[in-house]
Amino acid sequence: MAEREAARAAPKRPARGVLYPRWLWPAFATPGMLWLALFFLLPLYVVLSIAFGTLDPVFRSPIPVWNPLNWDPSQFQFIFGHLIGDAGFFGPPMLRTFAYVIAASLVALVVGYPVAYFVARFAGRRRVLFLVLLLAPFCVSYMMRMLAWVNLLEVDGLVNHTLGIFGVTPVAWLSGQPITVVLGLVYGYIPYMILPLYAGLDRIDNSLLEAARDLGAGRFSTFRRVTLPMSRPAILTGLLIVSLPMFGDYFTNDLLSGSPRTSMLGNLINTAVSTPGEAAEGAAFVLLLFALLIPPMVYYARSTSRRSMVEA
Amino acid sequence: MSEVSLERGRLPVAPSSERRSPLYRFLPSRSNPWRRPVMLETITWLYLLWSILPVGLAVLFSFNAGRSRTAWQGFSLRWYFIDPAGSVWNDPTLRDALFQTLKLAVITTVIAVPIGVIFAIGVDRWRGRLPAVFNFQMLVSFVIPEIIVGVALLFVFTQLTTFIPLGTPAQVIGLVTFQLSFPVVIVRARLLSIGSQYEEAAMDLGASPVQAVRRVLLPMLWPAIFASAVLVFADVIDDFVIVRALSAELSSETMSVKIYNGARSTATPALNALATIMLVISIVAVVLGFFVYRRMTRDDNLGGGAALDQFAAQL
Amino acid sequence: MTSEGSIDRMFSARWSRRRFIGRSLGAGVAIAGLGPLLEACAKATVANVNPFPLGSPQHPVLWPISKDNKPIASGLTPESNATLKIYNYPDYLDIPTAVTNFEKQYKQYNVTVEISTFNDINEALAKLRTGEVDFDLFVPSYDSIGKLVYGNFLLPLTHSYIPNISQVWAQFTNPFYDQQWRYTVPYTIYTTGIGWRSDKVSEDISLRTNPYDVFWDPIYSSKIAVLDDYREAITMVMLRNGITDILTGNAKTLNLVSTQLTDMISKTNPKVNITDYQDIPDGTTNVSQAWSGDMINAQYNMPAGQSPSVLRYWYPKNGKGAVNQDIFVILRAGKNPVLSHLWLNYMLDLKNAKSNAAFTGYQTPHNGIDPNTMVSDGTIPPNLASVVVLPQYFNEGYRELELSPAVDTAWHNVWQQFKAGG
Repeated sequence: MAEREAARAAPKRPARGVLYPRWLWPAFATPGMLWLALFFLLPLYVVLSIAFGTLDPVFRSPIPVWNPLNWDPSQFQFIFGHLIGDAGFFGPPMLRTFAYVIAASLVALVVGYPVAYFVARFAGRRRVLFLVLLLAPFCVSYMMRMLAWVNLLEVDGLVNHTLGIFGVTPVAWLSGQPITVVLGLVYGYIPYMILPLYAGLDRIDNSLLEAARDLGAGRFSTFRRVTLPMSRPAILTGLLIVSLPMFGDYFTNDLLSGSPRTSMLGNLINTAVSTPGEAAEGAAFVLLLFALLIPPMVYYARSTSRRSMVEA
Repeated sequence: MSEVSLERGRLPVAPSSERRSPLYRFLPSRSNPWRRPVMLETITWLYLLWSILPVGLAVLFSFNAGRSRTAWQGFSLRWYFIDPAGSVWNDPTLRDALFQTLKLAVITTVIAVPIGVIFAIGVDRWRGRLPAVFNFQMLVSFVIPEIIVGVALLFVFTQLTTFIPLGTPAQVIGLVTFQLSFPVVIVRARLLSIGSQYEEAAMDLGASPVQAVRRVLLPMLWPAIFASAVLVFADVIDDFVIVRALSAELSSETMSVKIYNGARSTATPALNALATIMLVISIVAVVLGFFVYRRMTRDDNLGGGAALDQFAAQL
Repeated sequence: MTSEGSIDRMFSARWSRRRFIGRSLGAGVAIAGLGPLLEACAKATVANVNPFPLGSPQHPVLWPISKDNKPIASGLTPESNATLKIYNYPDYLDIPTAVTNFEKQYKQYNVTVEISTFNDINEALAKLRTGEVDFDLFVPSYDSIGKLVYGNFLLPLTHSYIPNISQVWAQFTNPFYDQQWRYTVPYTIYTTGIGWRSDKVSEDISLRTNPYDVFWDPIYSSKIAVLDDYREAITMVMLRNGITDILTGNAKTLNLVSTQLTDMISKTNPKVNITDYQDIPDGTTNVSQAWSGDMINAQYNMPAGQSPSVLRYWYPKNGKGAVNQDIFVILRAGKNPVLSHLWLNYMLDLKNAKSNAAFTGYQTPHNGIDPNTMVSDGTIPPNLASVVVLPQYFNEGYRELELSPAVDTAWHNVWQQFKAGG
């Protein structure tokens, strides 16, 4: 590892006289870079041109304005003008998005951590079995997992039947209940939380835990003073991996609620994009979401690439 | 963290009495660090039950003989192929969705994996600012909300490149863009652990740089390439946001879009059957992938658990 | 404004597109950007931006026929080996019978009918505007005609191919929205009301002084739905308040609607969907805003063993509710204009129309169909007698006609606010 870093730092490597032609590696990378430039970076510019663009007056479809000098900020004025106050109808869905995402991510962490901890530290010989079970949800499409809950949560579904045994009157779970949406998000994204947690906890050297034990620490204090601090990067990764995609989620809400009462930012984008006259607004929302998520995404990318360097 | 040994796949050390500190017996018993963690185990099993049972029930109801998705009316394959109108096989829209899903998965894998693999090699070996930027962007695409990519591409195809029609072509481009990061990240991880000494040795022995890549590096990358292909394939099958955003007519809608459209309306278990078929395809792809992966890496002396661990780490 | 001459002038003036956009954008941006302050002035700007006449019974429209878009000649031979492409809502055409029989009837030309579908009209218009599709026939509602004619999407009809027009109600042979039926023939007619199951709801909603109030009645909280259609939902709120100008862009009225929609969320937490024909019979929602045709369909979606006799539909007995229709048009981009005319004629034939209606649930305005006898002859069950669309509804009811772009924007804003959860 150290030598490798040193090798990287060295300007040229005339070792034993073999040199790659200068063009070789750029040539390898070119198709991928072209692809990403065309279909990832360029689209972001198109979104900008539409968000700051104009509308066809009759069909009210967006007309992109390519020249930034002619950009019209009215979409953003409209959005920011309707965030708070009497006409602030964009405020509640924004707040709701944050509340749901934060709640769901934390619940996923609180549920996922003990599971990952158990499998990483105590599963013993049954570890393969547990791993298979933990990985199983990755084979099940998100939509199917939501469909499963739709079936269970119907008014005459199994959940209400079960609760009925205890005398609970049927609850309309699928009619705009925030709790259903939050738990739906937890259910949908928690596998992505457990995996990095497991990897992080698994990496903690047992000898450290043994040392703590030998120094007289009990189980709880070993956990609190060794395991927990050492798993902090994994916790952060897990939180980022689940919460960032949740910010754009609209389908969980559509399937488990269908009521405006639980609308999130993703729902606003999804409807705006397909409504005449609102596509530019949808584009503006996409940009806002993107801008909002840039710091955590950058943080995630930096910490991940640093870690993969360390591992190698 | 770097000082920690990174030996993977090792089973936790079993408690053995002779290794315990002599003082141990005087400590209160509740602080026994190797006691069986009943609470944790219970939580784990409850979690697994919660995570798997609903899906299991959904699969079960795909075999329901009646129209209900909530009341069991007997076992039948009616919703798979027997029902003349509503079964997955006989309802043209559901059948089309099945084929469209597989079509997108195959085409996307075939395009994304080669581009991703050579991109990973190029970016790994070519040091500089530009490749670093693109590498960074790869990682970002793991966590970026899909709706951003989907909407952005929708605008591109409807406003700029109108010669690329929505439907399969647009969907494939969108999926490749989103999936490219799988092969890149997986292959890069492998490249980092291989190092460059093998190619250099090959070139010392007279191979040209291209030959060294093709005949020395590539064979060592096969397991990673294969694993990424499996993951891309399985992930495309499950994709929803991009596929829906870039779909055109009904025939370009995939299974997950059908489930989304139908979950709150169409009342038959055919939807569960469709979802079950998706599930089986994904499982077959991943299990097959795992065993082939294990065969490919058998020289690495990985036990089953360790191989699974490693395979999982790539997910 | 609506006389033929002035429209022709308007079209022939061929405004420079750029100038036109600039002008109307000024208004559009003002409405979007400056917020509530300028919303009050919205009405004043409407007249400026309206690029095409908005037809209404009081102001019938005779759409112009541009010089470069003449109707086809009479008596042409139909295209052979053609694929006739129809662009329609899903499940809105009886493919097994109507389509198959058409193919049989014109077997000598070896025609194949291909159906593509769209989920909402905006999606469809967007697709047509890409100019990359060559659909022959299209099924919009009459609230899109202005846009379609203005955008030059439609082929004027050659009446000699369509003698069956004589089979429809007289008011549709020279309709106000398309005088001399230059571009359209009628397809289906329907009302918008309230649907429920009598065994799930303890009251008879039709007996309420104002049945629309159910949407604000907390006893139906979380068990109620409104149609996911901005025109239908907003119109319903207006009718609840006795506002009969359901085409208004009046800021005060729209504010009232907006307030009441928000109020509805807090009182009854409604679902917003268009699955009334599933949700009412299977009991997912107890009360739903509903289309008459969907209630006919609802009969076939009753859970096994339950009788459709519990289905109920309310539409004002005096006809003063929302009543609308969909139309068939021929698209200019289509490759089979002659076959398209034959299709229209085929669909206007009473026998075919009846069999198609039995599949879609949606009534057609044919002379041979007597709405007054539809219940007694068993076409419609007595408990759903109210789904019948009577001819006089089109005189007494309120039509959701085309809105000007500016008013439409204001309506969409109200709807967006509702969908955002208030």
